[in-house]
Amino acid sequence: MAADFYAALGVSRDASTEEIQQAYRKLARRYHPDVNADPAAEDRFKEINEAYQVLADPETRARYDRFGPDFRQIPEEMAGQWAGAGRAGAGSGTVHFGDDAGFDFDDLFGGLFGAGAGRMPGADQEAELVLGVEDAYRGGKRRVTVSGRGGRDYDVTIPPGVTDGQRIRLPGQGGQGRGGPAGDLYLRVRIAPHPRYRLDGRDIHVVLPLAPWEAALGAGVPITTPGGEVKVRVPPGTSSGRRLRLRGEGLPNPRGTPGDLYAEARISVPAKTSRRERELFEELAAASNFDPRRTS
Amino acid sequence: MTHSLAVPPRLRLEVVARRSGLHPDLLRQLVALSVLEADRDVSGQLWFAPDVLVTIGRVQRLRAGLGLNYAGIAVVLDLLNRIHELETEVRRRSGPWT
Repeated sequence: MAADFYAALGVSRDASTEEIQQAYRKLARRYHPDVNADPAAEDRFKEINEAYQVLADPETRARYDRFGPDFRQIPEEMAGQWAGAGRAGAGSGTVHFGDDAGFDFDDLFGGLFGAGAGRMPGADQEAELVLGVEDAYRGGKRRVTVSGRGGRDYDVTIPPGVTDGQRIRLPGQGGQGRGGPAGDLYLRVRIAPHPRYRLDGRDIHVVLPLAPWEAALGAGVPITTPGGEVKVRVPPGTSSGRRLRLRGEGLPNPRGTPGDLYAEARISVPAKTSRRERELFEELAAASNFDPRRTS
Repeated sequence: MTHSLAVPPRLRLEVVARRSGLHPDLLRQLVALSVLEADRDVSGQLWFAPDVLVTIGRVQRLRAGLGLNYAGIAVVLDLLNRIHELETEVRRRSGPWT
């Protein structure tokens, strides 16, 4: 329940009925559960409706202004005395959505279009679940907090090898229904950017820095993957840009072949060379007739 | 693993009415207003795709929550579907790792 109905609608306490209506319509459109799949939107939508329910009716609004959030606890006759209004028949006149005493969101849906409304199911909701590449690789149980309804916690089992954009369905955890089933909550996986790994579906791309001699002579080089360290065999004569494929070392696939890992060779030279290194490079430069700019 | 024959499951009007709790006449009316999609067979019987129940939920919520009439709901449904398609396309194209 909103602490302050005026704040819920974003209007001042002296707002006119038109201003209240305008604010309500605008917010209701924005937070309607079918327009806004964010789990927090449903709470907001209820809050907006509850606030409007009270503020749209001058009589309940006056009682709310006088008694605050507990105004429903004050018997109407008493409130009438307090207000000093000699109205005949409390509850008559401009009651918008039926009896406001003991207002309940479900009644709003029922009261408005009760006849023929049927069993109304809840809307599906969607929230984003950001995972690191390593989390996506390993999968496993994870506690996820979803905003809305005071922040709900779920223990979600993430399948190993979950990919970006994949949705994890939590049945019945979406919007509440009225007489019908609750909607489902979908967690849309978003894989966070990683400083080393680049993902393409289940394939992982990683840069493999090589010393010039490793690239020229070939080498067995350790490389860190989300699954741990593996050894890459760099064939002799590997230039920058060459991609070495490590079959099956990408993200696992619960329903098929796992992705591959591509290690892209990138030759690095020492920023500073010792005298000895320089001598050797100079010797190599003199002895070699290799010209990378000339394609033979 | 068994494979069912590739006949898309379809629901009869009475089944949709029972599952949604809506009167068959209201469902017929919603089809006539093009809020819901249905096929008509030679005998005039209406057949619905199973996801019509999801759409019906939407229709009910939009009507109850925003007080839209059925013409307005039909527009909203079309627009929501288009937005969904476009968002899916945008996500597909601008994956984080392109």
